[in-house]
Amino acid sequence: MVRASYTSSSSTTNNMLLNAVNIEKSYAGVHALRDASFYLRAGEVHALVGENGAGKSTLIKVLTGAVVPDSGEISLDGAKIIENSPSISKSLGIAAIYQQPALFPELSVAENIAVGQETAGVFGIVHWPKRKQRAKELLNRIGARIDPEQIAAELSMPQQQLVEIARALGANARVLILDEPTASLSEDDTRNLFRVIRELRASGVGMIYISHRLEELPAIADRVTVLRDGQTIETHEMSDISSSQLIRLMVGRDLSGVFPKREVRRGDVVFELRGFGSREAGIRGIDLTIHAGEIVGIAGLVGAGRTELAKTIFGLVPPDAGVMLLRGMQITIGHPSEAIDLHISYLPEDRRRHGVVLDLPISSNITLASLKDLSGFKGMNFRREKEIAAEYTRRLGVKTPAIYNAVSTLSGGNQQKVALSRWLVTQPAVLILDEPTQGVDVGSKAEIHELMVELAEQGVAILMISSEMPELLGMCDRIAVMNGGTIAKMFERTDATQDLILSAALGH
Amino acid sequence: MDEAISQPQQVPLRTEQDWSARLFPNNEWILLIVIAVECLLFAFSGNNFATTGNAFEVTRLSVEIGLLALIMTPIIITGGIDLSVGSMMGLSAVVMGGLWRDAGLSMPVAIAITLVVGLLGGALNAAMITKLKAPPLIVTLGTFSLFRGIAEGLTRGIENYSGFSPSYLFFGQGYVGGVVPTQLFFFVPAILLFWWWLHRTTFGRSYYAIGFSQEGSRYAGIKVRRRLNFMYCMSGLLSSLAAVIYVAHLGQAKSDAGTGYELTAIAAVVLGGASIFGGRGTILGTILGLLAIVILQNGLRISGQPTELAGILTGVLLVTTILIDRLSRIGVSRITVSEEEFEVKNWQVGVLSGVILVAAFIVAASNWMLVRSIKEQGGSAPAAQSQNAATSTGKKNVIAMMPKAKGDPYFISCRKGAEEAAKELGAELLWDGPTDLDPAKQNEIVQAWITRGVDAIAVSVENKEGISTVLRKAREKGIKVITWDADSEKDARDFLINQATPQGIGETLTDEAARIMGSKGEFAIVTASLSAANQNEWIKFIKHRLAEKYPDMKLVAIQPSDGDRDKAFAETQNILKVYPNVKLVMGIAAPAVPGVAEAVKQSGRTDVKVTGLSLPNMCKPYVKEGIIDSFVLWNTGDLGYLTVYAANALSNGSFKPGETKIKAGRLNEIEVVGDEVRLGKPFIFNKGNIDNFDF
Amino acid sequence: MATIGKTYRREISAAAALVALLVIVAVAAPSFFAPGNLRDLIINNLPTLLIAIGMTLVILVGQIDISVGSQFAVCSVAAGVLAKTGLPMPLVFVAVMLIGGLMGALNGTLIGWMKLPSIIVTLAMLVMWRDALRWTTEGAWVQGLPENFQWFGLGQNTGEILIFAISLLLFVVFGWSLRNLIVGRTVYAVGSDAEAARLAGINSSNVVFWVFVVMGALVGVSALLNAIRFSAIPGNSGVGLELKAIAAVVVGGVAITGGRGTLIGTVIGVALLGTIGTALTFLGINPFWEKAIQGGIILAALASDVALGRLEKNGRSDLAATTSPA
Repeated sequence: MVRASYTSSSSTTNNMLLNAVNIEKSYAGVHALRDASFYLRAGEVHALVGENGAGKSTLIKVLTGAVVPDSGEISLDGAKIIENSPSISKSLGIAAIYQQPALFPELSVAENIAVGQETAGVFGIVHWPKRKQRAKELLNRIGARIDPEQIAAELSMPQQQLVEIARALGANARVLILDEPTASLSEDDTRNLFRVIRELRASGVGMIYISHRLEELPAIADRVTVLRDGQTIETHEMSDISSSQLIRLMVGRDLSGVFPKREVRRGDVVFELRGFGSREAGIRGIDLTIHAGEIVGIAGLVGAGRTELAKTIFGLVPPDAGVMLLRGMQITIGHPSEAIDLHISYLPEDRRRHGVVLDLPISSNITLASLKDLSGFKGMNFRREKEIAAEYTRRLGVKTPAIYNAVSTLSGGNQQKVALSRWLVTQPAVLILDEPTQGVDVGSKAEIHELMVELAEQGVAILMISSEMPELLGMCDRIAVMNGGTIAKMFERTDATQDLILSAALGH
Repeated sequence: MDEAISQPQQVPLRTEQDWSARLFPNNEWILLIVIAVECLLFAFSGNNFATTGNAFEVTRLSVEIGLLALIMTPIIITGGIDLSVGSMMGLSAVVMGGLWRDAGLSMPVAIAITLVVGLLGGALNAAMITKLKAPPLIVTLGTFSLFRGIAEGLTRGIENYSGFSPSYLFFGQGYVGGVVPTQLFFFVPAILLFWWWLHRTTFGRSYYAIGFSQEGSRYAGIKVRRRLNFMYCMSGLLSSLAAVIYVAHLGQAKSDAGTGYELTAIAAVVLGGASIFGGRGTILGTILGLLAIVILQNGLRISGQPTELAGILTGVLLVTTILIDRLSRIGVSRITVSEEEFEVKNWQVGVLSGVILVAAFIVAASNWMLVRSIKEQGGSAPAAQSQNAATSTGKKNVIAMMPKAKGDPYFISCRKGAEEAAKELGAELLWDGPTDLDPAKQNEIVQAWITRGVDAIAVSVENKEGISTVLRKAREKGIKVITWDADSEKDARDFLINQATPQGIGETLTDEAARIMGSKGEFAIVTASLSAANQNEWIKFIKHRLAEKYPDMKLVAIQPSDGDRDKAFAETQNILKVYPNVKLVMGIAAPAVPGVAEAVKQSGRTDVKVTGLSLPNMCKPYVKEGIIDSFVLWNTGDLGYLTVYAANALSNGSFKPGETKIKAGRLNEIEVVGDEVRLGKPFIFNKGNIDNFDF
Repeated sequence: MATIGKTYRREISAAAALVALLVIVAVAAPSFFAPGNLRDLIINNLPTLLIAIGMTLVILVGQIDISVGSQFAVCSVAAGVLAKTGLPMPLVFVAVMLIGGLMGALNGTLIGWMKLPSIIVTLAMLVMWRDALRWTTEGAWVQGLPENFQWFGLGQNTGEILIFAISLLLFVVFGWSLRNLIVGRTVYAVGSDAEAARLAGINSSNVVFWVFVVMGALVGVSALLNAIRFSAIPGNSGVGLELKAIAAVVVGGVAITGGRGTLIGTVIGVALLGTIGTALTFLGINPFWEKAIQGGIILAALASDVALGRLEKNGRSDLAATTSPA
């Protein structure tokens, strides 16, 4: 175990590409980073891990010049970078790809790749055929079949990410920062991405790789640095450290049993779909039953129709085939509010856009789906709201000093707890969870899993969509695998294995 | 549950809000300070500013805009905007007037149908915004034109509904218990209702959620579309209600009702702390923002400061408050969402803004100096100050004089004469009026003068029915009232300074046209705006005269110029092409005539002549070139001069009803007939005499 | 290419509306197409076009400017006042552009760098400039301009050709630059996604600032080119010009959310809205309905957006979700 220090070890400094020393940054008196130091070699993939709020995002922003640190220094090839800014770091060959692809939706792929990269000054002339040619070459290099003239808004998420990588390549990036690139990718797309990353590594690009999916790190990372509370804790060769060791370093304590699944007696059928489908959502012929106290998982690649199924059930997309039954009674849902009245709840995939309203206070977010219950003859019952908010904030352990703070002040995991609280308030009989632990730190993840088990014990029927195989295998009683907009296969907990699920998802 | 996982809260969870956050969730206290400073300033600089009467008047004047601002608050909170509210007022006003007068419906029925029309207009906005998902700014920009356009189309611009029953007018003009303006009984409950709706119900809560995130709200089961539909429909309804009160307030219904009100309403809401990006804003803030604006306007008037200052200060206030708000938020920027960072350091921005502001000031100041110097050169030599006038009474009379619109060159030339007279008499002249034709503003200004306390008020009346109530009130308070240029109702004033009757103007114009055209052929008129009351009156008499005396002359077109020289120019070009037989184009608004003349000149059509009603200085070059054959007007300087003399004599008691003559300085004796002081007949300017005039 | 139809879908529908209008006029009132009328029509609408060019930039970059009408009035008066001091006309031209640019810089500072909402800042400026001008001039016209002011002293024909040439030059320069210069593409990039532009190393604040400066300078040019058509300058010109320009730009298919649209569309929009008033006179329709028809056209343009199946700009993950299964 080596405590990161950068003065000695001459062997490593030889091919040291990027070096950050004692970076400090605080916002309004709160330390986001303090004494963060690490270095990156050329031709390596360096993983950066830590709980949400550990300072990873801020560190990246410091490196790319998006944020000016309070103190500390960064050097590239031994030369100190002074007065960093996005354009300076870009010109030095530092590129970043963020969780949400930062493309220009109205512009073409070729233009997206070219923006900010042409050497001509601001009054330089755009050479369109050259742009197109260059985009084609770059996309070919990473094996992406994308038309350079397509408008970016028409691309899928993985395609957009590939365009970003092509853009970074085009900028002759020597340092490439990937912030949770696989968060919304299917297994297939992830594999393709890893292939591209390995090729880049071979060509000498140094990469900083940030991910919550610890299980994928051994496959791609060379070294790993753990961040906790704004500090770089330790740096290891990836081969020297196990997942559980990493987790311990990240949370600073031991975690016993990642999946707290307990057996619950399967109750009556609560929710049932028969031949359910929607052309608009791209799903068809879905048969599914969920019993009280049961957790049913849905696996599948991105685009298999998992989120679309959830949205159709919840009334966000109109169904056009089949029937939906709640406790044996046929129901129709035309709007989420009708679903809520029937005690069917949906925790959406995109937390920041759909799960919570970031700028509203925690209290308002928690009661937002149950405003009807708070409405009285004289107006809204504010005292009841306060009680509910305080109760759930405490029960789910949301880390906040006050219930009237905006949700945006919370870390990702705590935001997710608020989003979950909102649905618990509605007393759901059926709870649909869409990637409930995506982008959530390890501690919160375990708490959410624990909560799911508690709910199941209370007789709630849970449908969980997840791209994380261990989570599905660890938490679910049954796992439905979707492919091409319908359920391809159904596994009992005892029968399911990672391989079986994956091959079903791939349509084999 | 594992103890290690669920840690106990490290700090106790606070579940109570600070009193300041609860009372002023949006830093509304800043506005309280602004209002306090305004009140303090005006209490010293203005007469009778800090009185109960004035306080009530201020609120009365803010009712219509206030209603619009109330509904604009939730609209802006949801991140939308509604530019069509002012236009909807215009449409509602004419619909109500038409239903009542032309369709003969009773007032309550007419009002009810009008409110339904408002609702339908709002529904159109709502449908475009929620069904077609079009941006509110553009949708309401479209309906902004559409509603006003329909109002003008329905009334052909000229209809002016008036003569409403006193019981209806009471809603806009009356007092309950002698002091409290009637419309406050609508406004105050409306404020409370909106406050309750927005801040005390779950309904209101959902608007804030929608403002921060429409999608997120839908996922939480909020019926976003239904909420927005309801809100935009309400916006139409409230605009109609505002129009009903506006008409009762002014006593007339015309298609130009509520012009520009949308901008003031938006300014009030934003000044009140609402964010145009949605999510933030309160009813308290809106009301305070509204008060800050109307108190500023009222206070400046009472202190005798020019109206324009109110606009400038409102703009400064608006920019400053959002700037302060913006800067104060940088300090407490959120940790997790810190995307928005300042790239340029604050001091750099500060220096830069400073430099730009200074530069802007230099430009403005040098322009001002240049304009001033040019005016000095071109203006008439100031009249020698008369020594004897002031000493004879020993008291300095305050004479308040109001034009229809301050920026109109016609009235500017009147002002010169008025100032000359005031100087000779040693009286204090207050010259103020609306910046654009606006009957509601005229009432506000008279009201401010009553509050301030003046000796005489002289008004060029834009709207007869509307202003008479307030003029009567002035007389009750012992203020002498004169109307000049255009009359009010007879019992609302002591005297009318009559330069020419609409009939006289119409007939003179027609006779001049007939003379030039040889009493036959086609001609066209370029008027001011289609809803301009004076011009429509003149056109009426022109048509009479034509039917009576000149059957061979044909009026082929009446085109609007909106008081804009450039538009008059373009319209005349069209007329010349569409009606090639036109022998003469008559411009009947001062800025229109030079536009008409320029168009005729550029067309090279020497066979077409120009006449009309305008000012000598504007037309001089064209008269000399022979494009304008002749035009009609009276000596505007003399009009202003005579008005001030009459007002002064009236307040001194040296001029009383029943007299047949009045002595007016250099004009010597002027004839008085009944309650009219007659300046004389309209004057015809032509090549021969134009050089004798400079105004 | 098929992509042309797709890329210029909105421009094509606006052009179709214009053609339809012209066909109606051609049948009902052929004299509309007399050369003299077309010339007048074009010259009268050029000042609006110049403002609309600037407005296109402003809207492309995701902002709005409702203060242009008041700036126009200030620039017009300034042009006259400066000319009366005996300054040579070319210098007057430059000075008025500078004054316009300076007013634009004030907007740009507050909006670009201080990050204030453009609609509020320019609303304040709309009121402030107009009232400041009224206060100083008291509505007086600038008269007695020097001989070389009207038509630059070149006579009507040459003057009109010059005005047309300058406008055409500016239109071509701006149209070409927006498409083919890095700086033009930068405007699109910032309007499409300001944050993404920042991450790509573009200084969005700078771009917004300069767009407003250019808008102001164009207002100056427009005001001067308009003023030299006459022998006197009124103190209250340009009322409502901002709405005219915005309406033309939107009708021409520029997305109010920024990042999408072309100057071709804008010129069609200006032509469409500018023709209606004249066309009504030629068709013998009452001018009272002009405003209503203009409003109707704006709403129709919006409706056609939907009819053409254009999606609203509302984030990307939804778009990812709607792509067909792999």
